[in-house]
Amino acid sequence: MTGRAPMISRARRTGRVPRLVTGVVLLAVPLLLALAGPALVGLALVGDGADRTRPFDQAGLLGTDFVGRDVTGQILLGGRSVVAVAAAATALAYLVGVPVGLFAALTRRRWLDELLMRPLDLLLAVPSLLLLILLAATAPRGPVTLVVIVAVIALPEIARITRAAALPLAHGPAMEAMRLYRETWWRRAIGYVARGIRRVLLADAGIRFIGAVYLVATASFLGIGVAPDAADWAVMVDRNRAGIFLQPWAVVVPAALLVALAVGVNLVTDQLLAARPEVTK
Amino acid sequence: MSLTRYTVRRLLLGVGQVAGITTIVFVLTEALPGDAAVVIAGDQPDPERIALIREQLDLDQPPWQRYLDWLAGLLHGDFGVSLISQRPVLDLIVGSAAATVLLAAATLLVLVPLAIGLGMLAARREGGRLDRAISAVAVGLYAVPEFALAILLVAVFGVRLGWFPPTAVGTGPNLLAQPAVLVLPLLVLLARPICSLSRLTRAGMVDALRSEYVAHARRLGLGAGRRWLAHALPTAAAPVVQQLARTTDWLLGGVIVVEAVFVIPGLGTALVDAVAARDVPTVQGLCVIVAVTTVVVNLAADLVAFRLAPRTAGAR
Repeated sequence: MTGRAPMISRARRTGRVPRLVTGVVLLAVPLLLALAGPALVGLALVGDGADRTRPFDQAGLLGTDFVGRDVTGQILLGGRSVVAVAAAATALAYLVGVPVGLFAALTRRRWLDELLMRPLDLLLAVPSLLLLILLAATAPRGPVTLVVIVAVIALPEIARITRAAALPLAHGPAMEAMRLYRETWWRRAIGYVARGIRRVLLADAGIRFIGAVYLVATASFLGIGVAPDAADWAVMVDRNRAGIFLQPWAVVVPAALLVALAVGVNLVTDQLLAARPEVTK
Repeated sequence: MSLTRYTVRRLLLGVGQVAGITTIVFVLTEALPGDAAVVIAGDQPDPERIALIREQLDLDQPPWQRYLDWLAGLLHGDFGVSLISQRPVLDLIVGSAAATVLLAAATLLVLVPLAIGLGMLAARREGGRLDRAISAVAVGLYAVPEFALAILLVAVFGVRLGWFPPTAVGTGPNLLAQPAVLVLPLLVLLARPICSLSRLTRAGMVDALRSEYVAHARRLGLGAGRRWLAHALPTAAAPVVQQLARTTDWLLGGVIVVEAVFVIPGLGTALVDAVAARDVPTVQGLCVIVAVTTVVVNLAADLVAFRLAPRTAGAR
């Protein structure tokens, strides 16, 4: 890293601001729909899914879906599950992965480090969607299962990054000094090492969240871990595919929202990372 | 570290990975709910018949015995018999592999020159308009779920404009007979890997072009073409080759989704169907094939990267 001043001038030259604005707009639309959507369902013009008419009809703002529910209402309801499951899975993966990586970095017993990290390396070698399908087939269907599975898939990477970031701190001179001053293990591990790596972890969280959104959406699309008629953007894309010629909005709108979410999170994370020169990947 | 020593170390790691993955696959498929004997008995679930099938499948033996038998079978190329179709799993894999291999090969064939070309184009003028445009698109598209992109492409180019067929239904097993069918699936499969590869190529080229040895080559009076292609590109290519191997993971995931969207009968469809039907030997066989492919591709890529740039690649 070259320091702050040259980074900023380069940032200005490469037109970061318009990209950030595009990212924020792209992210805000699906995120607002996902979070505030369920509250808007009761309003006029929007069916709540209870009253059903003919499937793939043109009635209403965006027509009806494969069982005759109002598409607008389904879209308002369907973002919550994608965003919530992805966020919960990311949080769970951090809750387990960071202590594992931190512990592996802090321990001075080499065999313990190997014992913690080697099995995770093995998980990394398995293609993630394959692992997803296998795990999903063995567990009961439901959002909790999906959260756990996506967290398991994200876990090895997080543990690795935590360990890599913590290693230089855990075995550096400052740590030795703290040991000489008889600081407690907690003060050294949490107060010094964990605090020292928090920026790296925060910067990484955006990337992990994108990965989780991708996995959750793809799993839902393949019918893994969700009910086949759930109000979920990915499920809507899958189930309404049959009517794409009759009623394209039921497929195109949720697909476009998912694409906007992915592109938006990516652009924003990338800009935030670039704006913070002291964070190294 | 010499190439031979690195190769031996890397091979041992690969063997260990394959052993570990087969164990994971066996344990997970063992945990699949539902009794295989009941699945086969199907319409005639009388206890005698189930007991008979159980004996035929060796389900009355302890799991570790079956695990060892299964491993021994794998070593001889025996993947067992499908519970649903009663055909050898290997036949089923070979039968459905053609479409998947075709998709993957076509993707790679377009991906590598296109991604490296785009990356080099972006590196030509760092921070220029072209560079900014390419990298903005690459950052944006990087994590778009394949199915959402696929559906949007189908809606626009398949349904609205009618340029390409929206699915592969009715094409038959040979997809090459109708190349137009392949256009949309290829676009979808290319979208994610092309982003990471072109960005890596760009970063590698920018670094390499700034380095001492390329500056030295310029002082010696070497032409720009030779400096770029013969000196900078090999160094820049080392991480690209490794990332290319990582994209096999994405490609496999993407293929599962793309096959589902475009209704192409390949390995991904076979896997999803087998898991849904609790066809344990087929699931195990497919997983082993996929996992071994991933490990072998990564192994090959690491060796190539080591050959291209021994100092940086070996340090991993």
